[in-house]
Amino acid sequence: MDIKISVKNLEAFYGKNKVLKNISIDIPRNKVVAIIGPSGCGKSTFLRCLNRMHEVVGGTITGSIQVDGEDLTKTDPVLLRKRLGMVFQKPNPFPTMSIFNNVAAGLRFNGVRNKKILTPIVERSLKQAALWDEVKDNLDDSGVNISGGQQQRLCIARTLAVDPEVILMDEPASALDPISTSKIEELIFELKKNYTIVIVTHNMQQAARVSDSTAFFYMGELIEYDKTTKIFTNPANKQTEDYVTGRFG
Amino acid sequence: METHFDIQLAKLKTRLFKMCSLVDEQVQFALRAIEEEDMSLAEMVVERDKKVDKYDVKIEKICQKLFALNQPVAMDLRLIMSAMTINTNLERIGDIAVNIAENFIRLRTKPAFLEKTKINQMSMIVKEMLRNAIDSFIQNDPKLAEKVIRSDDELDALNAENHKVLIEIMKEDKESIEPAVTFLVTSRELERIGDHATNIAEDVFFIVEAELIKHKYEKFLFSEVENVEKEIDEEIDEDEKRNGDVQKN
Repeated sequence: MDIKISVKNLEAFYGKNKVLKNISIDIPRNKVVAIIGPSGCGKSTFLRCLNRMHEVVGGTITGSIQVDGEDLTKTDPVLLRKRLGMVFQKPNPFPTMSIFNNVAAGLRFNGVRNKKILTPIVERSLKQAALWDEVKDNLDDSGVNISGGQQQRLCIARTLAVDPEVILMDEPASALDPISTSKIEELIFELKKNYTIVIVTHNMQQAARVSDSTAFFYMGELIEYDKTTKIFTNPANKQTEDYVTGRFG
Repeated sequence: METHFDIQLAKLKTRLFKMCSLVDEQVQFALRAIEEEDMSLAEMVVERDKKVDKYDVKIEKICQKLFALNQPVAMDLRLIMSAMTINTNLERIGDIAVNIAENFIRLRTKPAFLEKTKINQMSMIVKEMLRNAIDSFIQNDPKLAEKVIRSDDELDALNAENHKVLIEIMKEDKESIEPAVTFLVTSRELERIGDHATNIAEDVFFIVEAELIKHKYEKFLFSEVENVEKEIDEEIDEDEKRNGDVQKN
C-alpha cells in the first residue's frame, strides 16, 4: 500500500487532559479515509493534529506524524498547511472578497500577485470544485452572495488553488441541504483521483458512501480501522458494530 | 447528473446481464446436448457451472455493498432487492442445466421413446420463457413478464402429461425404466426452470410497477378485483385472527 500519511503513537493533550490516546494509522495516497465516532471522541482533534492546528488552540502532541516520510512536527506550519488544505464545517468565504479573490486568497498570501498567473489557477480550482459553470459570469460578486452549498465548494476551490497534497475535511456537508451534500460527495469522488482526503463526519451514511477506509474513534482511542465495506458489513469490534448500527453514540 | 451510486448500479446491472446470458446459454447447451447427443457439449455445461457460481457470489457481494454503503430507496431499493432474488433464481437455473447435462452424460444416448413424450415441447417453451424473462428484466417490460407468467401453466400441464406417458413406457418395457426415470426427472427439472423464470418475471413487476405479485399473480393478472393488495392483507388478517396468531397487545 502506498502510504501518504503515517501516524504512530499519536497522543494529543489540552493541558493535562489527554484527548487522543496512542493513535497509529496509515492513510493511503489518493484514497478517502473517513473518521467517525460520537461527539467528543477526538475525531476533529485528530484532523487538527494533521495540519498542526491543534497547537494553535494551545494543544500539545506526542508521537509522530509523517507525510511522505517527512516528520510533520519539524515542518513550518504555514508551509505545512499549504500541503494539507482544510475545509471546515461551516462555509467560511472571506465576506469582503469577491469569488475570484476568495479563490486567489491563498496564492496571494503566498506572494503570487500577477493576475495572468492567478486567473488560470482560479478557473482550474473552480472547475475542480464543480463550481465554475455556476459562477463563471459572476466572479466579481461577493463570495457570500451565493448559496451555502456553493460557498462550501468555493472554500474547497480556495483550498485547491494552493495545490495541496492532502485535503482535510471537517464535517464539510453538515451545514448543507441534501442536494448540496450530494454535490460535495460527488466532488470527493472526483478529487480523490488527485488528492488524499481525510474526512471527519457525524453522518455515518456519508462515511459509507464516500470513503475507501473508515476509522472509528471512541473516547480518544482508535477502536477499529478497516476498509469501509468491512466496517459497514462485518466490523471486527463489538463497539464499532453497535455504533454503525445506531445502538449507541 | 450521473452519480457515483449510478455508476455502481450500472455495474450491478452489467454483471447481472452477463449472468443472464451465461445461464441462458447453459440451458440452451444442455438441451442441445440431448437433442444432438453431444457428450462434449454436456460436459462443457457441467464445467461452466463454476463460472455461474462465481457470478452468483460476485453479484451478491455487490448487492450487499450497495445496501450497506448507500441506503438505497424507491426504484433503487426495488432494483437491488430484485437483483438479489433474480441472481438466486439464475444460479438455481444454472444448477438445473447441470443436472440435465449430467443425467444425459450418464445415459449417453437419446432413447427412442422420447418422441412419445412432451420433452421437446417443454424444452421449446422453457427456452422461450427464460429468454422472455431475461428480456423483460433487461428492457424493464412488465408486458413481456406477464407473458412468461402466463406460460407457466402450460409447462405444468406438459410435465403432468410426461409423467403419465413415462410411467406407461416403464410398465410396457422394463429395459426403459432407467432412461424413463431420467427423463421423468428432466421433465421435472424443465418445469422448475419455468418456475424460476416466473420468479424473475415477478421481480420485473416489482421493479417497474412496485407491485409484489409473487404467489398471488393469478389475482393480479387474471382478476377484475381492484386493490388486490388490500384484499390479500385482509385475508391474512382474518386467517391470523381465526388461528389466534395475532398477539394481544
